[in-house]
Amino acid sequence: MVFNNRLLRALSPADQEVLRPYFQWSELDRGRVLVSPDEPITRVWFPESGLSSIIAMSGTDQGIEVGIAGRDGLVGMPLLLDADRTPHRIFMQVAGAGYSIDANDLRRTLDENASIRNLLLRYVQAYSTQTTYTALSNAIHPIEQRLARWLLMSHDRQDGDEIPLTHDFLALMLGVRRPSVTIALHSLEGLGFIKATRGLITVRKRLGLIEFAGTSYGVPEAEYDRLIGPLR
Amino acid sequence: MPRYFLHIDDGTQRIEDHEGSELPDLAAARDEALGAARQLWAAAILDQRDIGVRSFSIADGSGTVIDTVRMDTALPRSLLDRLAGLNR
Repeated sequence: MVFNNRLLRALSPADQEVLRPYFQWSELDRGRVLVSPDEPITRVWFPESGLSSIIAMSGTDQGIEVGIAGRDGLVGMPLLLDADRTPHRIFMQVAGAGYSIDANDLRRTLDENASIRNLLLRYVQAYSTQTTYTALSNAIHPIEQRLARWLLMSHDRQDGDEIPLTHDFLALMLGVRRPSVTIALHSLEGLGFIKATRGLITVRKRLGLIEFAGTSYGVPEAEYDRLIGPLR
Repeated sequence: MPRYFLHIDDGTQRIEDHEGSELPDLAAARDEALGAARQLWAAAILDQRDIGVRSFSIADGSGTVIDTVRMDTALPRSLLDRLAGLNR
């Protein structure tokens, strides 16, 4: 059986067999919380589909998305770095499904298997690059460009061109007010890159989006490719 | 929570908010529109581009427009005073 998760796919067949007996399959509904702030992380998730959002919290009810992880990665990274919890909140923003492994089983497996550990650590590096470029983008790119970047990142992590996202989610991701999302979507729609309907954004011209996103898109993606393999 | 729709009037057309947002009350909806107005002005200045948006129309769940927030209400008092001085 071929994994859809790019990390699991990048493992050697022998390493895949090491992990497989520990895997538990779960449907991951939209809104499902995978990691709660400052609570022990008990499982690590390898999404086969869907998209999780890593949120940095400001107080209890405000936050901004600092990273995303879907079939490109895993959820529960602190465990790879000898930490058992994080101040971040991680939840599914696009429904999907995936495998999870108990934290202790994973720890033991990583202690015994350098090749699995090294691959997952390279993913941590790739993810870290993603978040630093999100910081860069938040600081210097106009909202339309950041939206284009985000849509491309989401598109990279799924099959097909339809991204099921509400404007409320996009506002959280981009750290802007709702009407700012409406206006930015309208601009990208006017350029013919996307079609936005209620709860659904369809990518029409990926190359146009890439050109429009300019320097905001591409560096973390190239790093991922170099460290792990093809993202799309 | 009630749902509010924040439509955008940019002088030539109306950009429809098809989804709306669940917000506690009208004051929260106005706050959302005002926050967006500030972001638009900020982007206009930072990115050196003009913006067409004139106002936001707030509609309730039934689609009836119940309030309007004009872009200029988001401008600082001192700027409005200065502009008034220039026009005198």
